[in-house]
Amino acid sequence: MQKLAIIIIALISFQLSAQTTIIGKVFNTKNEPIAGANVYLEGTYDGSTSGADGSFLFETSDNGIQTLVVSFLSYETFRMVSDVTHMKDIIVKLREDVSALDAVVLSAGTFSAGDNSKVNVLKPLDVVTTASALGDFVGALQTLPGTTTVAEDGRLFVRGGDANETQIFIDGIRVFTPYSPTTNNTPTRGRYSPFLFDGITFSTGGYSAEFGQALSSVLLLNTIDEPDQEKTDIGIMSLGATLGNTQKWDKSSLSVNASYINLAPYNAIFKNRNDWIKPFETASGEAVYRKKTNLGLFKLYGAFDATNFELTQEDINEPERAYFKLTNNNVYLNGSYQGVLNDTWTLFGGISYTHSENNLNIIETTINDTENSLHAKVKLKNRISNRLKIYFGAEYFATDFEETYNDEAIDKVNYGYNNNIAAAYAEADIFLSKELAFKTGFRAEYSALFKEFTLAPRLSLAYKTTSKSQVSLAYGNFYQNPSSNILKFNQELKAENTSHYIFNYQYNVDRKLFRAEAYYKTYDNLVKYDTDFTNFDSNYNNNGSGFARGIDFFWRDSKSIKNFDYWLSYSFLDTERDYKNYLTKAQPNFANTHNLSLVGKYWVDKWRSQVGFSYTHASGRTFTNPNEAGFLNEKTKAFNSLSLNWAYLISPQKILYASVNNVLGFKNINGFQYANTPDINGDFNRRALQPAADQFFFVGFFWTISEDKKSSQLDNL
Amino acid sequence: MKQLIIITTLLISGILIGQTNYEKGMQKAFELWGSNQPTEASNLFERIAKAEPDNWLPAYYAAQINVINSFGERNEDKLSAKLKRAQDLINDATAISKENPEIMVLQALLHTAWVAFDGATYGMTLSGKVVELYTKAKIVAPGNPRVLYCKAEWDMGGAKYFGQDTAPFCKDIERAIELFANFKPETPFHPNWGNDRAEQILESCGK
Repeated sequence: MQKLAIIIIALISFQLSAQTTIIGKVFNTKNEPIAGANVYLEGTYDGSTSGADGSFLFETSDNGIQTLVVSFLSYETFRMVSDVTHMKDIIVKLREDVSALDAVVLSAGTFSAGDNSKVNVLKPLDVVTTASALGDFVGALQTLPGTTTVAEDGRLFVRGGDANETQIFIDGIRVFTPYSPTTNNTPTRGRYSPFLFDGITFSTGGYSAEFGQALSSVLLLNTIDEPDQEKTDIGIMSLGATLGNTQKWDKSSLSVNASYINLAPYNAIFKNRNDWIKPFETASGEAVYRKKTNLGLFKLYGAFDATNFELTQEDINEPERAYFKLTNNNVYLNGSYQGVLNDTWTLFGGISYTHSENNLNIIETTINDTENSLHAKVKLKNRISNRLKIYFGAEYFATDFEETYNDEAIDKVNYGYNNNIAAAYAEADIFLSKELAFKTGFRAEYSALFKEFTLAPRLSLAYKTTSKSQVSLAYGNFYQNPSSNILKFNQELKAENTSHYIFNYQYNVDRKLFRAEAYYKTYDNLVKYDTDFTNFDSNYNNNGSGFARGIDFFWRDSKSIKNFDYWLSYSFLDTERDYKNYLTKAQPNFANTHNLSLVGKYWVDKWRSQVGFSYTHASGRTFTNPNEAGFLNEKTKAFNSLSLNWAYLISPQKILYASVNNVLGFKNINGFQYANTPDINGDFNRRALQPAADQFFFVGFFWTISEDKKSSQLDNL
Repeated sequence: MKQLIIITTLLISGILIGQTNYEKGMQKAFELWGSNQPTEASNLFERIAKAEPDNWLPAYYAAQINVINSFGERNEDKLSAKLKRAQDLINDATAISKENPEIMVLQALLHTAWVAFDGATYGMTLSGKVVELYTKAKIVAPGNPRVLYCKAEWDMGGAKYFGQDTAPFCKDIERAIELFANFKPETPFHPNWGNDRAEQILESCGK
């Protein structure tokens, strides 16, 4: 006992007195010393900070095996397990952290809008402050390179692809009917409110294996994870009104948003080229519910909208004007869960359901169609290390489309199709260093409709050339089943196919960003038919093909001029395709060769106002003049439009907003409609296809009432 | 006698190695901070945080140093590195102590650092978050002087910008100073800063 006590005392006092000195130096991989690194023994108080020459020295009273930790901002933390007596003259080499902000990014083909302005081309607010966009997220994306100007349509036409080749996803889950219906001379808008989203990624090619059934482009919208505060939003506009409310609880929150648009008062003041019987009217509602669980986040998003209008329009073949009536009801539900399983595994699961009904009356014809679609997806991510991440997942798309056709000659014909697709993908992100990274994977799909199996490889790599610039390469193969326009009449086809080859250069310094991207795309298996419009009697085949090549430039500068932020986009596009009922390979009418956008925003501090402009120039689009030989043989004159907007902050809660589209009143022509039969001189008469109105005016007042404002006003009483 | 020696020795060594290590460490860190060595101070706070996984204070102070030093930083890369580090530390502190008004104030200050760096970019996106944090902190701790004065300072900035009267917020500052006079931190190492700054603001109030 006595001996034991002595030994213990001896040991303790030995421990107290026996200080071990730990000495070493910290360098980066280029052998430059790192000053300010935190050096310590894990779980003890013993440690120090490295000096200007990278050296450190401290004493410890602990002995035996210990863990020496060296950490510094934007470097990977270094650990060494050893006996303290061996911790002498240690040379620590810190590796740069590849997840640091200045690391290489896999960005070929992709434009992001989010909170991290460093890697993003757009900020979330740009959607609502771009002069020409009128609060529509699709409108804002049309100022980016790679898109073409199809002013009467409003959907996204990307790099020689038609609008069906772009797919939209909310929280990773497909939206089947993303656009509101409009007349054929007014651009459509996205159905969903931009205020519910805080991240937008727009990829114009070469995207991840996670996304399929899109030949040209994907647009990814992420709903807000957690709203900032409880509030009520009121909007009164020249076109209607909106009302929104957000409630927050301990672990969950709910945002609802309702809007009503009616163009009757606007049409009464500003004349346009449509004769309205029942002006455009739409009522819509959206709700997002979010619930945090211990390890994840559950989101449920639902949207409903009902649109109707009735009008007559000028038509070269209808001396009495053409009659058109539409009612559309659309329901979209989207539920998703994202959670961590453990330190390295993350799970995502989601499902969406779309129900859409269209009732159309075109002159003497009645067409009713109903679409029910479903998308379910599960994906897993394994973060093996900062340098290696693996993703894989499986998904299922189901579409049931039915249509009824009725006119004088044909009595109620029913037809439709089921388009079900199962898919799986696997992908890996490999960071060889902070300078060089790869993303590679493949996607397999099985189409139940065509009993066809496809395998699509994807590859992209990025190399950081200097601290401010990088080059990227991307390759991908993409499949998409033909659109409902074709499938409803014929299902003996196969998927259309493209390959993308992309080379990208990016230079990013101090809130200035330059991007140049060259691409080449080939199209195969495009659907062809031999009639004016798709029909039962048409003969269909997959013998179509095409190509698109071009170069896109983007420059954004938020720095050089104080309070002024602007971007310039230019796209050159050379494309020809032989598809649909084309007689020969030709430049399709939705593809402009040159597209230029200049968007600027100036913040006038004294006026608490943001004034903005947006200018678009697009070279002419092709059309077929039947009075001359050839197919798609002429081009319209160029398209020009200058839009201005002004946002005035009355108080932090109240904003007054006004905008004018095409302020200079350019008379733009989107194409020509030719008579079906020649006149007595043998000439086909024509009519210019012009927008419903050359100009568009918008005034709105937006008021946010937050809980805090109420409470602080009460305090002041 | 032998047993007594053993017990005494164990006690002494216990005090030397265990309990006072925290106090010594914290004191040393505050000294470093006071003598204008913020990197060393923040590193030491981080080391203490690692050794005391159930105590939110060292992580809180390490974060606070990073937040305070980011005000006035004009290099966006350096700023984001500092604030990212501070955010990680705030997350660590929050994991230990939930619904803590002091940590909420620090989180609000971190957002304010972004707004101060680039109001046009971050003002509209982060203002809501800041307001929500102060509102929540006020509900949790209505008598905390830091909550009251930081909130008042933020509100004054907004009111000045929109040309509104700042007088109501001066009253809040006055009240915060009263609260400071009676504020007793739980331990000597619990947050007890802000009185000087509040008095500075009050001085500018009359003008």
